[in-house]
Order: sequence, then structure tokens, then C-alpha cells
Amino acid sequence: MDWKRTREPADAWHMTDDLHVEHGKGDPFAAAIRATRMSMIITDPRQADNPIVFVNDAFLRLSGYERHEVLGKNCRFLQGSKTDKATVDLLREAIAEKVDVSVDILNYRKDGSTFWNALFISPVSNDRGELLFFFASQLDVSDRKRSEHRMTADKERFEKAVKERTRELEAALEAQTTLLHEVDHRVKNNLQMISSLIVMQSRTIKDAATKKSLTTMLERIEALSTVHRRLYQSKDVSRFDVAEFARDLVTDLLTASGRAEIKSTLDLEPIVISAEKATPVALMVNELVTNALKHAFKEKPDGTTAGRIGIKMSQPDGHFNIEVSDDGVGMADASGDASFGMRLIKSLARQLHADIEWRDAGPGTKVVISMPNEPQQKGNVS
Amino acid sequence: MIEPLKVLIVEDEALLAMELESLVEEAGHSVVGWATSSTEAKAMVDSTEADIAFVDIHLTDGPTGVEVAEYIGEKKNSMVVFMTANPKRIPDHFAGAIGVIAKPYTMNGLMSALRYLQEGVHRPPPKSVLPAGFTLSPAFKTVWAPAA
Repeated sequence: MDWKRTREPADAWHMTDDLHVEHGKGDPFAAAIRATRMSMIITDPRQADNPIVFVNDAFLRLSGYERHEVLGKNCRFLQGSKTDKATVDLLREAIAEKVDVSVDILNYRKDGSTFWNALFISPVSNDRGELLFFFASQLDVSDRKRSEHRMTADKERFEKAVKERTRELEAALEAQTTLLHEVDHRVKNNLQMISSLIVMQSRTIKDAATKKSLTTMLERIEALSTVHRRLYQSKDVSRFDVAEFARDLVTDLLTASGRAEIKSTLDLEPIVISAEKATPVALMVNELVTNALKHAFKEKPDGTTAGRIGIKMSQPDGHFNIEVSDDGVGMADASGDASFGMRLIKSLARQLHADIEWRDAGPGTKVVISMPNEPQQKGNVS
Repeated sequence: MIEPLKVLIVEDEALLAMELESLVEEAGHSVVGWATSSTEAKAMVDSTEADIAFVDIHLTDGPTGVEVAEYIGEKKNSMVVFMTANPKRIPDHFAGAIGVIAKPYTMNGLMSALRYLQEGVHRPPPKSVLPAGFTLSPAFKTVWAPAA
């Protein structure tokens, strides 16, 4: 190594005395500082504006300056227009407070190009605690900063893409929800219209049997209407609370039927079934209840038709059981409409894989339907 | 015997309005008018005396039923019950309405609702049970059906 090339001006040399190190070629400490690839400088805070009093070759290589251009100057010539002001303030404060500081700062070379400098500055004091120097090391971390920036940019790009995609999906969901509401609205309106048409037609009919037949038809359609009304009232349109439906149905059939003498006993566990089972289950319950109301409570010898109709819904081990009971005249006679009703019940039971059994409850009849049901979710659907 | 109701129907579907009119009259009440749009409805509110107005949310001039309810609310000459297949469109405050009969309603459900409303309008609070498919607004719920 050519030590002459790196020889410092005379005034820079006194620092090695203060650092209690011998100077000169044989001094391993000074030699190490001069030769290391780590850029290092020393400044003298006891001189005006804290000038640089020593720089090693690594600093000159990093910054692109000549030694004579930097000695005697304050380090701020390394800063430029894009250097972060807050970081500079941090350095200034640390120097004023005479404490260690470590920052990443954007510095400028002589040719105006920039590099990220991992700067470390620490004060050096003598035994008496007097501040002698600031020792600063610089490390070019532009590569690390670049990858940091790249990562930040990537992250921002991803976040933007995710945001955009989320927006698209939200818009799609909203469109779908609007469509669902529209279809729901139409289905309900049409069901209402069908009911209205039947009622109006029925008004013009004089024949009692035909009228009765239309009324039965209306009841079935209204059972479907009640399903639809309840189905889209809940938050989850794929689930259906069959107990709530039964409550509506029985209230509806009893309150306005003018048959206040028939009392109902409802023993309903909240049971949720999938929406596709809602219609067949509802139709079946409707058949059983209307059947009981029509056929079971015939006029008794004392002239009254008082009675009790009971619905029980329970779910023992993975099954869903419905019991419709009455204390009426016993098994309904299977004639006319009743036989169609019976066929309907049996077909729906097949569709639902349900077992159905008529029991003589003496007095009255009890119909027990049992079908497999999926596990119940916690919480209510509505 | 409670006096019958005078009913205003605000409904864009002729078939439903016709049927509702028949049911209202069958139940012994009278229909004082039928409007299909918010404009018609407002004019009718100004020119007729009704105890109760059945108001659909969707009318021939758009989803203007809530506006009609607000107009009736300002006039204070009748009470409003929404009748809609889309109860979710009703604002939380119900625009002052008593409640909503969700479509599709059943004939029995509507008859029960008429009886319930007759009691509620002329002899509040109503004695009958709240009919299936009839939902009271929060304001009327506290008065007509306080939690036991």
C-alpha cells in the first residue's frame, strides 16, 4: 500500500495523539482505519462548524470527492434536495446532544448521483469527559433500500389490486342481491295475484263443492305464500325455520276461520331446515292441519264442534319429527278431496324420505312424520 | 260494535287493488279511493277522508310509497299501513306508519289484520292478537303490543 497517497494534512494528525495511539506507518490502528472498506470520517466539534478532519479512502471512493475537497468542510455537503429533512434534524439533534445516532439517509456523490447511507455517528471524549471528535461510519445500503422500495411498491400494487378486486366483487354481490330482491319481489307479487284470482273466481261460484275445492286450492297456495314470506324475511335465504312457519299457519287458519271454539296446542322447538325442503314440508303440514280442521271436528251430538288441534315439532337424534293431532271424530274418511290430500301427503313424504304414520289417538287422530334432518346450527335464522 | 273503517288503497297492481277492495268491503268496511301513483295518492289524501291507507311501496311512478306515507303523516288525517312484497325497503322509522302487511298475505291474514286495525284505529290498543304476516312499526309496537 502506498501510505503517502493517504497521508493527512498536519492538522489532521493530532487526533491520533488524542486517541492515545501512535501515528505513522507502523501504527496498526491508523492503518486499519485507512485501509478498511468501511467508509469513515472524523470531525472536530471544537472547530467552527464541526469540520471534517479525517477521511479514509473508502469514503473518497464512496462519495467521489478528492481528499482536499472535503477536509475542513462540514459534512452537510453530502445532503441534497431529496434528503429527508426530518432525518437531518435527527442528526443535528444527536450532535448537539453529543450522543450516538444511527440513520439511513439519502446522500449525494460529487457527480450528483445519490446513494443510501447507513450512517453511524458517535462522539469521542477524552478521560476528562471533554468532547474531542465525532467518529462517523458510512455504509452504502442502496441495494437494500432499493429492495425495500421494491417491496413497498409491490405491496402497494398488491393492495391496490386487492382493493380493486374487492370493489368488483362487492359490485357483483350488490347486483346479485338486487336481482335476488327483484325476483323475490316478483315471486311474492305473483303468489299474491294467484291467490287474488282464485278468491275472485270463487266469489262468482254458486256450487258449494266447487267453491270448497277452490278454497282448498287457495289454502295450498297460501301455504306456499307463507313459506315465501318467511323465507325472505330471514337473513339467510337458504335456511327455513319450520316452527315459525307452523305458528303462522295455525294462527292464520284458526283466527280467521271463525272457529274460535277450536283451540290449538303448539309445542314447537325451533327447527331449521334447508330452503329446498321448506315447500314440501310446509305443504304437508298445511294438508294435515287443514284436513284436521275440516274433517275431524264434525258437529258433536251436543251441537258443538269444540276441539283441540296440536302440533308438536321436535328433533331427536338427527331426525325431525312433526306430530299433528286432533281430538276430533277419528280417522278422516278418505273420500273426494281428502284422497287427493292423502296422495299429496304421501308423495311429499317420499320426496322428503319421511316416514309417515296415522295413529288412532282415541279420541282423535295423531299423524306422525319423521324425516332425517341435517345438524342444527347454533342461533336463530331470523 | 266498532264502527267500520274508511280505507284508501294505494296499489299499482289493478288485480291486487280489486281483490283488496272486495275483501275490505266483505269485512264491512268501505273503500274511499284507489290510487296507483304517488301523485294520485296525494291528491286523494287531500280530497277524501280515510281512517286508514294501505300503501304499497312500489307504485307506477317508482318506489314512492314511503313518500306517500310521509305525506299522509304530515296531513294527520289518516293512518298508514304498508302492504309490500319488499318490507326491507321500509325505513326503520316506518315514516310514521302503523306497520306492514307483508305480501303475499293470506285471505285469513288480511281479514285478521282488518279486524286488528279496526280495533286499533277506533278503540286502541287492539284486543285481537297480532295477525301472522303483520309487523308493527317500533313506535306502534310500544303502544299496541308492549312486551308483557
